Amino acid sequence: MKRRARDYWGIVYLVPLVFLGVFYVYPLLSILDVSLRPAGVLDLTAFVRLLTSDYYSGTLLFTVYQAALSTAFTLLLATPCAFVFARYQFRGKTLLLSLATLPFVLPTVVVALAFATLLGADGLFNDLVKTLFSLDYAPIQLERTLAMIIIAHVFYNFAVALRIMTSYWSSVGLGIEEAARCLGADELALWRDVRLPLLRPALLSAGALVFIFTFTSFGVILILGGIRFATLEVQIYYQAVNMFNLPLAAALSLVQIFSMLAMMVVYTATQKKLHLAPVSSKTTAKRAKSLVERLGLNVCVALIAILLFSPLVALILRSMLAAGQLDLANYASLAQKSRGSLLFIAPLESVFNSLRFALMAMTMALILGLIASYMIKRRGRLSRLLDPLFMLPLATSAVTLGFGFIIALDEPPLNLRASWLIIPISHTLIALPFVIRSVLPSLRSIPPSLREAAQTLGARPIDALLTIDLPLLGRGIAVGATFAFTVSMGEFGASLFVAQRESVTIPVVIYRLLGDPGMTSYRQALAMSVLLMLVCAAGFLLIERLRIAGVGEF
Amino acid sequence: MLRIAGLSHAYGDLISLRDVSLAVKDGEIVCLLGPSGCGKTTLLRIIAGLETDYEGRITLDGDDIRPVPAHKRGFGLMFQDFALFPHLSAAGNIAYGLKRLGLGREKANERVQSLLRRVGLEDLDERDVASLSGGQKQRVALARSLAPNPRLLMLDEPLGALDALLRDQLALELRRIIKEAGLSAIYVTHDHREAYAVADRIAVMNIGSVRQHDRPRQIYRRPASAFVARFLGLTNVFSASDNRLANLLRLMDDSKLKGAPWLLIHPAGVRVAGDGGDDAFEFDATIESAVFRGGHFDLTAVAASGLPLSFRLRELPVELGGDLRISLDPDALIPLGD
Repeated sequence: MKRRARDYWGIVYLVPLVFLGVFYVYPLLSILDVSLRPAGVLDLTAFVRLLTSDYYSGTLLFTVYQAALSTAFTLLLATPCAFVFARYQFRGKTLLLSLATLPFVLPTVVVALAFATLLGADGLFNDLVKTLFSLDYAPIQLERTLAMIIIAHVFYNFAVALRIMTSYWSSVGLGIEEAARCLGADELALWRDVRLPLLRPALLSAGALVFIFTFTSFGVILILGGIRFATLEVQIYYQAVNMFNLPLAAALSLVQIFSMLAMMVVYTATQKKLHLAPVSSKTTAKRAKSLVERLGLNVCVALIAILLFSPLVALILRSMLAAGQLDLANYASLAQKSRGSLLFIAPLESVFNSLRFALMAMTMALILGLIASYMIKRRGRLSRLLDPLFMLPLATSAVTLGFGFIIALDEPPLNLRASWLIIPISHTLIALPFVIRSVLPSLRSIPPSLREAAQTLGARPIDALLTIDLPLLGRGIAVGATFAFTVSMGEFGASLFVAQRESVTIPVVIYRLLGDPGMTSYRQALAMSVLLMLVCAAGFLLIERLRIAGVGEF
Repeated sequence: MLRIAGLSHAYGDLISLRDVSLAVKDGEIVCLLGPSGCGKTTLLRIIAGLETDYEGRITLDGDDIRPVPAHKRGFGLMFQDFALFPHLSAAGNIAYGLKRLGLGREKANERVQSLLRRVGLEDLDERDVASLSGGQKQRVALARSLAPNPRLLMLDEPLGALDALLRDQLALELRRIIKEAGLSAIYVTHDHREAYAVADRIAVMNIGSVRQHDRPRQIYRRPASAFVARFLGLTNVFSASDNRLANLLRLMDDSKLKGAPWLLIHPAGVRVAGDGGDDAFEFDATIESAVFRGGHFDLTAVAASGLPLSFRLRELPVELGGDLRISLDPDALIPLGD
């Protein structure tokens, strides 16, 4: 009886492993194969080109350079804000911290477009300055500059850094600072000798994470920078899709994969130290009293509000106003397929595509994620390997995944290249780590004694699963589901590779519309972006509502 | 009657129980008393069916219970951390086992109410368990394990999570409730005072085996080994070859020691001279420490030979550092095994 139950679980446990094997490991191996043996025999031409060409080493250097700059500016801005959030009590703090996370779930295309509408030559900001000072030229020239990319990256990652540092800082009691003060430390010495050294683990961890995110940034750079600012990620896409140089794209992907693995190792190492907050005490936050304190607090709050809302407001305004007039024709035209467009469908149809794929990806990611979480939770040598294994898709850039898909899954028995199924499958893969990270903490927080108590009270193992585990996992599952849905709705890098003709999703449609000539397509892209932003914002609000302390490890 | 014979168990290479034999008669409360890690919780888990890899035999009224899975044993287990289901109310927790029995809603409800009354929580039925105090949680956990009328009730350090004051009070109450329900029970604790209060019989355990198994008073008066004596807080345990004992052993009938490696001087037999006991040994000692405990003093006095003795007095006859004539009841000298 018992033996049979174990075998049954063994088979169930195989499902996520097989999924990962077929849709993650196999495509990556295909990339390796194509890069090393483009024509079936060992041929390192692509690598030689990579190593000898200034152009491609320039790509790598630029990727690192822009990521480092983005990380530095993000930390520079987030550190004082984290201090304010951790050390002061003020009204609306929780709400603001929560809202500041919104950009993190916004699709890259939406963010890129939002910044274009805010800071572009015809952007809201230039318009405002022109009107205010009666200028006849645009004073801010940021289009297609590195600065624009960095600003968008800071917007994107600010909340990630803020959250990590705030939560760490809040757990460090005020007592240490008070002790230093009693020992004669002035404000400068406090920062230099106490606060920053204490914050080091959080700074490192947040820095590593932001670096990883910006290293693999794709949509923002593709839209705001173009090929002139090609990072590894953009170069892979460009070589594979525009130049059809698959061996070179594969070689670049390989570089990308190994850089990411190295960075994930660093990040994991920094994260371990994060759990050891040095000293904790109950009082960590106080009210701002002095003028300086209140000023600092208000500047910080204003900064976050401006950084957060101005691009989104610009996007919404630009999508609804034309020549200073309310004009919703672009919204109305979304249902029609325009002639001469690169699109095969009316833009609005992509909404149904996206919703359909997101629901499918969510369902698959939930099922696989739940099983995987149970596997990981079981103690033993195997489960210690499983946790990082299932996190690997997170450590692989979306473009690499998409590229791996099209070169691996294009022949029988897995000829999915032309099938729309490839889209929800790729989204499932990307969403899976999010689901596991949402469910696993809840699962781990259920003491085994609860299940055992149920057993001694007459519950069969399946009863215990249904009456104890599932209700207690409810929130974690809901958070994971919403994450999966939102991730799928906004996914851009992989979709751009795998979405074909009629099966394109909203982000892909937005990108294609931007490529179409003419103001109409541009304004349609804005309208689609607003729609997508609303869907993702709704998902985000749901996550924030459901999230309780201890659920979700992000 | 539950009978355990030759039970052994190991976690990998770590032997947790070796050759344990024990019986629980109907309606009897047996305490498993021992330091943490002695295997008492493992023993409970094996009886409950939560650990299945063991050697030996456990029978209930003569039937081997090995093939019966945990959920069909009908044994109640009260967990150390209470393991209350956080998504159910107090009443929901208590009703959980009743639902598994297929009891109708009305009957289940009636039983839940009567149990809540029995543990003194009438008004708390719909309360969220997270909002209950420690003592209330303990009562809900007890009511939950009592609800399906278990054939055997097991309690794993049921008072361990509570503060000392509450512990004394609840120990008595637990005994009353278990006796009223007419249940056989196994009660795990590391606190000997709790065991005295609750148990009909006590099994003292150490490193996976039962070291002594007897009624509480018997165990206190006649601990069988140095380990048991020390674990019960009887500190006057000396090696039989200790030089400081030489005078005492000369006075005492040597044959009494029977080659035992240890000697316990039971604090109950240490008195101030003149307080009775005719054939007592008498000697002078200096009071080295005296701790006021409210109703009594805990004293340590050192004899001329350097032998330190701990004992208890109602009043402090001389000040700290003063000398005292001590009389020792010959019955207080107890030879001990290892």
